[in-house]
Amino acid sequence: MSDASPVTPSKARLLERVPGLIGALSASPFALLMLFGFVAPLLCVVWFGFMPSKTFSLLQTPTLENYATIFNQTYFKSILWSLGLAAVTVVILLVICFPLAFAMAKIFKGAASFITYAIATSLFVSENIRLFGWVIGFMKRGVVGGTLETWFGLQTDSLLYNIPVIILGMVYVYLPFMLFPLVLGVKMVPDQVREAAFDLGASRWQVFKKIDLPLSMPGVMIGSLLVFVLSVGAISEAKILGGQKVVTIASDIESEFTYAQNWPLGSALSTMFIALTTVVVFFALSRFDLEKLLGKKPAE
Amino acid sequence: MLALRTAPANSAAYGLHLPVCFYRLMDPSATPILEVANVTKRFGKFTAVNDVSFAIADGEFFTLVGPSGSGKTTLLRMLVGMEKPTTGELRLRGKIVNDLAPNKRPTCMVFQSLALFPHMSVGKNVEFPLSIRGQRESERRTRAWELLKLLHLDPNRYYDKNVTQCSGGERQRVALARALAYDPDILFFDEPLSALDARLRKTLQKELKDIQRSTKKTFCYVTHSLEEAMVMSDRVAILRSGMIEQIGLPDEIYASPKNAFVAEFMGEVNLLDITATGGTSAEWDTGRKPLALTLPAPLDVGTKRKLLIRPESLRFIAPGDTAGNTVPVRILNQFSLGSRIQYHVEVVPGCTLTVERLREERSTATADALLGWDLADSQILES
Amino acid sequence: MIVTRTQKAGFSLYAGLVLLVFYFPVFCIIVASLSKKRFFSFPYASEDMTFKWYADALNSPQVHDFVGVSLRIASVTAVASVTIGFFSALAYARYRWRGRQTFQRLVLLPLFFPQSVLGLALLMWFNFLDVTTAWWTAAIVHTVWIAPITTLIISIQAYGLDESLEEAARDMGATRWQILRKITIPLLLPGMISATCFAVLLSWGNFALSLFTTGADSALPEWLYARMTSGYQPMVPAVGVINVGVAILLVIVLFAIVRWSTRKSRTSAPSH
Repeated sequence: MSDASPVTPSKARLLERVPGLIGALSASPFALLMLFGFVAPLLCVVWFGFMPSKTFSLLQTPTLENYATIFNQTYFKSILWSLGLAAVTVVILLVICFPLAFAMAKIFKGAASFITYAIATSLFVSENIRLFGWVIGFMKRGVVGGTLETWFGLQTDSLLYNIPVIILGMVYVYLPFMLFPLVLGVKMVPDQVREAAFDLGASRWQVFKKIDLPLSMPGVMIGSLLVFVLSVGAISEAKILGGQKVVTIASDIESEFTYAQNWPLGSALSTMFIALTTVVVFFALSRFDLEKLLGKKPAE
Repeated sequence: MLALRTAPANSAAYGLHLPVCFYRLMDPSATPILEVANVTKRFGKFTAVNDVSFAIADGEFFTLVGPSGSGKTTLLRMLVGMEKPTTGELRLRGKIVNDLAPNKRPTCMVFQSLALFPHMSVGKNVEFPLSIRGQRESERRTRAWELLKLLHLDPNRYYDKNVTQCSGGERQRVALARALAYDPDILFFDEPLSALDARLRKTLQKELKDIQRSTKKTFCYVTHSLEEAMVMSDRVAILRSGMIEQIGLPDEIYASPKNAFVAEFMGEVNLLDITATGGTSAEWDTGRKPLALTLPAPLDVGTKRKLLIRPESLRFIAPGDTAGNTVPVRILNQFSLGSRIQYHVEVVPGCTLTVERLREERSTATADALLGWDLADSQILES
Repeated sequence: MIVTRTQKAGFSLYAGLVLLVFYFPVFCIIVASLSKKRFFSFPYASEDMTFKWYADALNSPQVHDFVGVSLRIASVTAVASVTIGFFSALAYARYRWRGRQTFQRLVLLPLFFPQSVLGLALLMWFNFLDVTTAWWTAAIVHTVWIAPITTLIISIQAYGLDESLEEAARDMGATRWQILRKITIPLLLPGMISATCFAVLLSWGNFALSLFTTGADSALPEWLYARMTSGYQPMVPAVGVINVGVAILLVIVLFAIVRWSTRKSRTSAPSH
């Protein structure tokens, strides 16, 4: 035993003496990474937002001129576009994914893991490539257009560069982020509770409304939140599929940094955008915790 | 109708050991509320329920009992509509209900897990079936209030309580209140009490029986414990590998079990392997040397049967005393069961019997003794 | 619950349809990559089918460079995020300490963050620190985003870790370091392997973070994006298909390793 060598109090014994030190110590590499790779850069962005226009230095007198510019120009339009597209994406994905998640959690057996692998694999392919597939599908004389023309005699122009296609792209890219939390959520609904509701006279619709939906709410919330946050910051869908039809906040920010070379304005836009998403995330996260969702709440 | 319910309400708690009370003799053929006719359920090649037929009378407390894997839960799930019979008919008040979905049947089940809705309060759980029916809020509340009172849950304290914060016994009562709110013709129970500790289980068994009497509802209970079945039921059906072994009044089954399976299922009994040697004499195959015994009734030579002797029918024979059969034994162990003492005795090495005597009749012998029983206390059973 | 055959068929049909639509773009890319013409149009004659673009892609030194950059970023990211994730998973799921609940909430924050903004923020941060961005800065950025994911994956395994095993080892006189090496790491190995596979794959496919932080180097998804937005080029779909193929191959290989290691740990469990 360690008591046999009482000459120097070893590091291990310090760990025994201070309760919780081992936990804090294990968390520290991650905490340092987040401090220098996440928190500091974000503070940097916030600070840059107060710098005068078109500078690349952080050491100027702070000013609010960038925010004045944002409110005087039409940036609110792109914010609204981003929020609107994200909200529509969330709603469409909820409608598409819930039946599938239900079937995967409650009806399918072996097929459920096949679908999981089939959908999950897509997460590892760059979304650009997958969106490019739609471009080939929808471009003039692409796979869809060519098929319609050759076999159905329908002349079509390019089906790209409109709002429904952008939404399609977002729905497509973020489907896994809605589906998997929903499957987890629906799995949390105990079979006997559903049966009991049927047994007490509830119809299928009533069971859905009063049992399935409320009890799988953690999954619904996490899925919606993930999809909302990811799609509100989406950049490729609108660019690749939408041409210049719609300018989202993310592409506004990007062009301030690239073409316009106005970092302070880009930073101010980012700050507003971050504040908006943080409010949404914190509001939603405060209403449940993930350990409950995983069903692994250990005793504290 | 004869309703000789003279047994005190708490007789149930003592179960087997009181003289069984005078229950009304149910005649299911007169007013059957539920008829099960030749019902079979197969899952692939496995037959879970095999050609089962019985009927339940209106207002009866009927219990299906069997070991795990006997098909009792499958049978129950068919009765409430969560499974469909492969063949056979289920008739509810004479109407075939094989294909009727559970939400269309006037029956209701209390699940083993209770299946309370975790996102609703106690009150909302109880009101659930009423809200499904579209009843007005005030009526629902009044009814839920009544039911909670009936089940000894103070509505002021429990109505708004979260079900996940209730104790095991409270949750049982909420589940029962919710089922009663549905006002079903038959209430089914899938051994809801099995997860509780012994004392609480006894209390709730008694309450369940009281509620069944006061509401005059038909209860159909499923359990693996024959003791539980005996305590509460008007009639009991014993299932074994998908078939009904015996069906009847609790005391009937206790007094004359149809075979060794039923007898063994009732609790600790002694079952002796015997081979008839002509007339009422037989040989007991103890594994070492056969012992000669006298049977309560004659059997054909060579017939193999089981001889049932209850532990309380065995007694130690004092010098000068006599009994129909006597065997020398060695006392291996004795255990106190409170008012009674249980002995494990060895006839020959590897062959033991269980004896139960009242404390005041304890054996004076310490090791070797003479054990005996009267012929009338033994029964010949098919194995 | 009774699920009627028609209901089951309906759900199956629906799932099939979703998968079909889901894989339609991949099908389109494969079709396009096999077309000989410089300008893709569908349908094309069978004599116009060719593997020329694949040969071009595999022989292009430019593509080699991009693959090299992507692989370098992915491997550094994997090693860093799994190492960090291992310790933070212990802090997340295993040890009891005062800041634990806060830590559990904050771990997920970078995941909920729009990647393009995160990439830009780090670009400015590197600029402020006077660091020239290159592939290794991209690896840092990828680690910031992927470490929370590896933490979660290893945490799931760490929740299943039987504390009494570590306590038993301590009881027998093992030091912290010995416990870590002989008990904790072997038991968490399946989780660490699947975390590695997630890290490699997510880094390999990432575009939004790389876009701003690779500097003069360029990762494969960036190159593809630049080609896609600047007009059709027949080598792009071919590289895309190769990229998808490599991803699927990696998934299969790594899942096989996970299966093998879990089976190994299961069969060896009783002998512990």
